Amino acid sequence: MLKRSFRRLFLVGGILTLITFMSGCSMLRGPVYPNIIYNNRQPLISVTYEYGEIEVRLPLNYIGAVPDNISFEVYAQGDTVNTIISILQEAPRVFIVYLPQGVLDIHNKSNIIKIIPQDTNFQPVSIRFQGILFGRIQLPPKSIQMKQLIVFGKVFLNKNNSSLSGVSVSMQNFDNVIKETTTNDSGFYQIAIPGEYKYAQHLRLVAGNNLIFKPFKQKLDFSQAFRLNFNIGVGPSATLEDPLYLTNRENVHFREHPDIGSETLFLLEAGEAVSVTRVTPGEYHGSIEVEVGNKKSVQMYGWIYRSDVFLLDLNNIFKKEGGDDSEL
Amino acid sequence: MIQNYKWFLVTLLISVNLHGQVKLTVNTIPKKVNVKLDGVIIGKSPIKNERIRPGVHKIEIVKAGFAPLTYDLLVNPSQAVHLDFFLNPIYRIKFKTEEKGLVFELNGEHQWDNQFIRLDLEAGDHFLRVFKLNEIIDEQTIHVDEPKKFIYYLQKPVSEE
Repeated sequence: MLKRSFRRLFLVGGILTLITFMSGCSMLRGPVYPNIIYNNRQPLISVTYEYGEIEVRLPLNYIGAVPDNISFEVYAQGDTVNTIISILQEAPRVFIVYLPQGVLDIHNKSNIIKIIPQDTNFQPVSIRFQGILFGRIQLPPKSIQMKQLIVFGKVFLNKNNSSLSGVSVSMQNFDNVIKETTTNDSGFYQIAIPGEYKYAQHLRLVAGNNLIFKPFKQKLDFSQAFRLNFNIGVGPSATLEDPLYLTNRENVHFREHPDIGSETLFLLEAGEAVSVTRVTPGEYHGSIEVEVGNKKSVQMYGWIYRSDVFLLDLNNIFKKEGGDDSEL
Repeated sequence: MIQNYKWFLVTLLISVNLHGQVKLTVNTIPKKVNVKLDGVIIGKSPIKNERIRPGVHKIEIVKAGFAPLTYDLLVNPSQAVHLDFFLNPIYRIKFKTEEKGLVFELNGEHQWDNQFIRLDLEAGDHFLRVFKLNEIIDEQTIHVDEPKKFIYYLQKPVSEE
């Protein structure tokens, strides 16, 4: 009996303990607030970019001469003040530069490479190009050349200082014509030749090849300048008096006396002017102009065969087509 | 012949599509968390070799036991971008006081008047205000960096047990 009561008591006690444990335990731990409470603390975030490289290749052609050093400046996004990179190096055949990804304008040709040769004889060059996200940009070859050499001026007639249009003017190295032009309506001419001739020793300006006069020839020296101004007078000067005759062929003998066997003072080129003062059945006596330096000239008197000259007509001073000026 | 042509087109489309994209890597602590990119789940972390276009993107990471994370990322034109996220954990905190008639408020919005309560708090600092009869009687900052128990005594700093 006692044993049974004891067992029942133990059972009730166990059930009560279990109930207490199941329900009361959570009450002992207290209620839970229904929401999570955030403090909006900035979480730790790490962002790392991996940038690729953009390789830009620019082949360079050097025309005539090669500068010792070249400064390359790369600009992006049309900003010509702040360079992305500036490189000074010996003149390369191919300029190669590596740029960080994302610096170039990939939509427009607003990226610029400035090529600045470290030599005043050369002209700086700029190249605009469109960028890419990453990879290689192969640009078309660019020519680097010396500054152009320019000669300009007016062509006029010595006799009356009037401007002459349509007169041929050329630049020659030895006898090779580098460039040729003709004067405009105002008698003005301008010729530009590559800078590689800057130190050429046999560079000359020739004017009036299409005139009946002896062509004007002047040696040019560009070693001190890139532009030269030459006003060119053609034909006989005003000091030679009319009537004027011109030699009609090369190597015309201008002699001291009319006699056969007389000493030849000068061998005249075609187109040289003779101011005739006396006439004989076969010869003319007159004067020619001889340059004595410093652009000064003196008159020399002598004799010349009539068959070697023709009368000058200032209204028709251009050679006829075909070059046969003996009929003039 | 036609099949080859199709393959060529497919290859061309894939290469055109891949061109201009940035390689994306996402690591998180903890790992194996679903990562959403612009609202689309792209997988569980760590994520490697995902492709993303330059521009603005939204990254969302949600995991139970951690504060949800939303991050607006401006992806620069680059070869790859690596992202590491350290999620803020949420700790179970027990808060107890012997004082009676007090109302507690955390971060200006969460209130209770129990003497003993369990709270789920994001790691970090929280601002505690104590009211009595609708008047502020105390203000404190509590720092949560692990599961712990706070005991509040009037006008005294909250003590940790």
